[in-house]
Amino acid sequence: MIESFGYVLAFLVAGTGFMALVLTLARFIRPNRPNDEKLSTYESGEAPVGNANVRFNPRFYLYALLFVLFEIELILLFPWAVVFGDKQLAAASENWKHFALFEMLIFIGILGLGLAYAWVKGYLEWEKPNIQAEDFKSPVPPKAYEKFN
Amino acid sequence: MSSILFIPLLPLIGFLINGLSFPKLSNPVAGIIGTIPPLAAFALSLQLFLQFDGNTQIVPLLDWISVGELSIPIAFQIDQLSLLMLLIITGVGTLIHVYSSAYMSHDEGFGKFFAFLNLFVFFMLLLVMGSGFVTLFIGWEGVGLCSYLLIGFWNKKNSYGDAARKAFIMNRIGDLGFLIGIFLLFQEFGTATYQEVFEAIKAGNGSNLGLIAFCLFIGAMGKSAQIPLFTWLPDAMAGPTPVSALIHAATMVTAGIYMVIRANVLFEMSPEVLHFVGWIGLATALLGAAIGLFQNDIKKVLAYSTVSQLGYMFMGLGASAYTASFFHVMTHAFFKALLFLGAGSVIHAMSDEQDIRKMGGLKSQLPITYITFLLGTIAIAGIPPFAGFFSKDEILAHLYHHDIVMWALAIVGSALTSFYMFRVFIVTFHGDFRGTQHQADHLHESPIAMTLPLIVLAVLSVIGGIINLPAFVGGNEFLAHWLNPILPEGSHEALEVHFASLEFLAPLAAAFIPAIFAIQLYGSKKAVPAADAEISGIQKIIYDKFYIDEAYNFLFVKPIQFLSQFFYSFIDFLIIDLLVESTGKFVKSSSNELRKLQSGNIGFYIFMMVAAIAIILAWTLKSWIF
Amino acid sequence: MTPVIALSLFGIINLFLGFTFKRQSLQVVTLLFIICSMALTAMDWNHEYLWFGDMMKTNNLSINFSLIIQLAGLLVVAFSNGFGKDEVYTQPAEYYAILLFSLVGALLMVSFQNLIMLFVGLEILSVAMYVLTGSDKRNLRSNEAALKYFLMGSFATGFLLFGIALVYGSTRSLYISGILYNLSHTAPESLPSFLYAGIILMGIGLLFKISAAPFHFWTPDVYEGAPTIFTMFMSTVVKTAGFAAIYHILDVTFGGFQKNWIITVYFITIITLILGNISAAYQQSAKRMLAFSSISHAGYMLLTVCANQPSTSSNILYYSLAYTLATAVSFAVLMVVAEYQTGRTEKPENFDALNGLAKNNPSLAFAFTVALLSLAGIPLTAGFWGKFFVFTDMFNKNLTYPIIIAVLMSAVGIYYYFKGIISVYFNSGEIEKIETSFLFKIALWSACIGTLVLGIYPTLLKSIF
Repeated sequence: MIESFGYVLAFLVAGTGFMALVLTLARFIRPNRPNDEKLSTYESGEAPVGNANVRFNPRFYLYALLFVLFEIELILLFPWAVVFGDKQLAAASENWKHFALFEMLIFIGILGLGLAYAWVKGYLEWEKPNIQAEDFKSPVPPKAYEKFN
Repeated sequence: MSSILFIPLLPLIGFLINGLSFPKLSNPVAGIIGTIPPLAAFALSLQLFLQFDGNTQIVPLLDWISVGELSIPIAFQIDQLSLLMLLIITGVGTLIHVYSSAYMSHDEGFGKFFAFLNLFVFFMLLLVMGSGFVTLFIGWEGVGLCSYLLIGFWNKKNSYGDAARKAFIMNRIGDLGFLIGIFLLFQEFGTATYQEVFEAIKAGNGSNLGLIAFCLFIGAMGKSAQIPLFTWLPDAMAGPTPVSALIHAATMVTAGIYMVIRANVLFEMSPEVLHFVGWIGLATALLGAAIGLFQNDIKKVLAYSTVSQLGYMFMGLGASAYTASFFHVMTHAFFKALLFLGAGSVIHAMSDEQDIRKMGGLKSQLPITYITFLLGTIAIAGIPPFAGFFSKDEILAHLYHHDIVMWALAIVGSALTSFYMFRVFIVTFHGDFRGTQHQADHLHESPIAMTLPLIVLAVLSVIGGIINLPAFVGGNEFLAHWLNPILPEGSHEALEVHFASLEFLAPLAAAFIPAIFAIQLYGSKKAVPAADAEISGIQKIIYDKFYIDEAYNFLFVKPIQFLSQFFYSFIDFLIIDLLVESTGKFVKSSSNELRKLQSGNIGFYIFMMVAAIAIILAWTLKSWIF
Repeated sequence: MTPVIALSLFGIINLFLGFTFKRQSLQVVTLLFIICSMALTAMDWNHEYLWFGDMMKTNNLSINFSLIIQLAGLLVVAFSNGFGKDEVYTQPAEYYAILLFSLVGALLMVSFQNLIMLFVGLEILSVAMYVLTGSDKRNLRSNEAALKYFLMGSFATGFLLFGIALVYGSTRSLYISGILYNLSHTAPESLPSFLYAGIILMGIGLLFKISAAPFHFWTPDVYEGAPTIFTMFMSTVVKTAGFAAIYHILDVTFGGFQKNWIITVYFITIITLILGNISAAYQQSAKRMLAFSSISHAGYMLLTVCANQPSTSSNILYYSLAYTLATAVSFAVLMVVAEYQTGRTEKPENFDALNGLAKNNPSLAFAFTVALLSLAGIPLTAGFWGKFFVFTDMFNKNLTYPIIIAVLMSAVGIYYYFKGIISVYFNSGEIEKIETSFLFKIALWSACIGTLVLGIYPTLLKSIF
């Protein structure tokens, strides 16, 4: 029983070792020119500092939801595949393969229908903020800016 | 089996159609929809009657309520008695529906009227078809309701509404007794189904039978207008005349008699109650006949005559002459319906005039009405060989053997009946016309839809006697044999009557002599009943119905009003209100406090929840924790 | 089995029909779907079988519950009037689809044989309800209600799951049959204490759903905030399904441990009765009053759960049906009146907004009255028999004190229900004739007639239940 956890330990060791190896290797190869932007934490394009009550753009959530949905589908597929490929089960019943296959097809089908529905409804469009053109007439001609930029 | 269910169902459907679509349906359509159900029900009843094999048939419909040990099924019972009642109700009912389609044709509530009539027929059928006292009671209350609705049909007039209410309240008094009787039955036997109750009684079970019979009879007193609960029936004449004919003469008021006959097993076990029934019947018969003597409203006369005839039927029941009583129920249905419809025809022709002093000499204008009314009068007076003679004579014959005093008094009542009926007949149809010119111009015979039922009923009134023609005049006593299975032993035995005996001649004399006297007085001498102001002496007392209404008013209504005033101003106001209101205030104020718990703060909500869960868990696991 | 599959399928179909169909035709289609699945449910009558890996069981009891739940759904859809006028904004197809999905959840809750399926059913139902509660997106109260419901609901679900885990830990099975088997083969002394904690926690999770005190706090706020049509759905479907589950858990599965949970459930019942009824008395808003009334009715139904007699299941069924019909009608009338009053009065769901309804809308007023009478338990309505059967059960169990409290509280109930009748008939107010759709009228009248028929002839269904 306890030996089975050896795999877990192996995963743990291998994972840590791989990360350490890669990061160390990179330390030697890459150029090293840090600035403030680069050193800050990644936070979906938002500034990571300031009040925690900042409003996140709900468009992220939509994607997050869809991501989680298909992530779960993916996770379910792994154990399913194991059972699907089980030779003993397949030998025990003639219809086993078909049954299991169609079951999963229905599952994916329903999820696919959901995705299709969201797609048709336009939920997958990244709604760009509609920026109003300012009607402020600047005394400086636009060409003048191009010179500076 | 299915056709049995259809019998009451059809009128109900008719009621629903007419009731829901009133006033959208045109009058002829409403009339047809209203008339077909009783006609079809009659056809079905006739078929049942002809196919009847002598075995009681129970058709279970539904288990109405079954709670604990109490179980009240609703089922229909088809036997000798209910079959005959079915035929009377649907047969006479159909004729009256036909009649109404012409009589009510100018009324704006035509469809409503037919809806109510159908509803009445439905409840009446339920009453007679029920297989137990509860079903009977449902029908009983239902016909009371319809009676109320139809008496107050012309509800724009206050006095009509009052009459309707009076009928309803008087019936309620009787119904209370009836209901107590049913409760007692449940207490004694745990059931109110006829068969089970009667089996139990025959087996000698149950005590308090006298009390139960008495309570049931109180119900019959209310419904069948016996002393002291009879004053509603004359007032009920406020309703349209077909209603009076159907409900207050032919069918509903005989429900009490039907009930006693149905429960004959019970009543036979309590002779003192039967005795009481007989004397109440006698008193009612005499009182009704006496008041009828000097009434001038054609419908009032018929109403008191109905009261009196119902008295005869109860007298017969008191003497255990069930067959004779039922025979009289049947013939009475024929001739009293005929008389009422005839009166309706007269009223119709006279432009809604009901006072016979303003009529007179109508025989030439209304020949069919005249002849049929005459036949009805002869029948009710008890002149042979018309239907009324045989049925009344049979009751009298039984009385003669039962109690000679009752018999003698009944003969007196019979004489009174003969007198007032011929009085009404002569004053209405003979002599000179005393109405206004306007009425004279509009005098006309009624349309065929009204005269046809008259003719049919007249024929039945004439030949109706053959249903139970006694053996000594060559009849086969069909009714007696037919009802034999459901009646106690010996109650139907043929009575030998000798043609030359006092027993036979006295009723004949009581029928003929007053008739001749009335014809003399009002026909030949052309006497007209005096105007209201000129009436005096005993006649005035009789004319004012012995002041019974006033006496009731003084004895019951006034004290109750006083008592209720007392209760209102003292007990209700000071004690009950205080109690009730302070309870209400307490609830309200505690509600106001509790309301504050609902603060809307979700943190508080969850805190309360967790606190409650903690307490509950601690309580549940206390033996492990402590 | 078939209705669960059918309803899921219908829900998906409904979503896509939304692209082409108009509001009204969607309503009709949804009605047809539900009728169809009711027919499928009824076809299993008298067939008892296990399905879905023995995790579900269909028998006559579950069929009766399923039919009542679907009837409630039918009424809600018929009353829905296509969810307002604003088609783009209200997304009728999605709401109908979610309604159908939540019915699936409710059906799972009435026929589960495995605690996981109870949890799954409860969550399908609840998540759908969270969404529907907040469906009035522009209304802050609706949003607030949805969030409150979601927070407290997930809290309660947590307890339910914890309870399931504890029960699993002590009985080594999630199947009802397995639990019963293991319990009967273990000496009572050797059962771990956390089994009892598990039973109680599962009970609490379910009692939350039927809004028994002191887990009722969400009810008034959520009922008031949610769009009325979904309040109707919540108070009928969720409650019926919740009671089916409570009956199954407490009386059927853990009936043998009654002495461990009965005192707790008693107190909860009595507190529910008192809190629900007394708080309702002071309410000015008819909708909020109905929310408290829903709490108090949960109390009455819990009485029969406490009694745990052979007739308990049929009593719960009868009470649920009576309550469903009456509640649906009262919410429906309140909804159309409030829609009419919006903009005319400040609080369109207060009793005052109903003033004078009878004058120009006699049928609405009559239906409302019948419904309130039934809720108050006046004879000749279904509600009377519902209470009557419950009290009979209590008498048979010799539980006198709870009955006295229950009877006193139903007297309080008459006070606040009659407030509605008084404002409809006796107070003066100006309400013009309110036009309602044909389906609305049919649903209103059938529910009304159903209430009366069940009131006059209770044995009609008592013999089936």
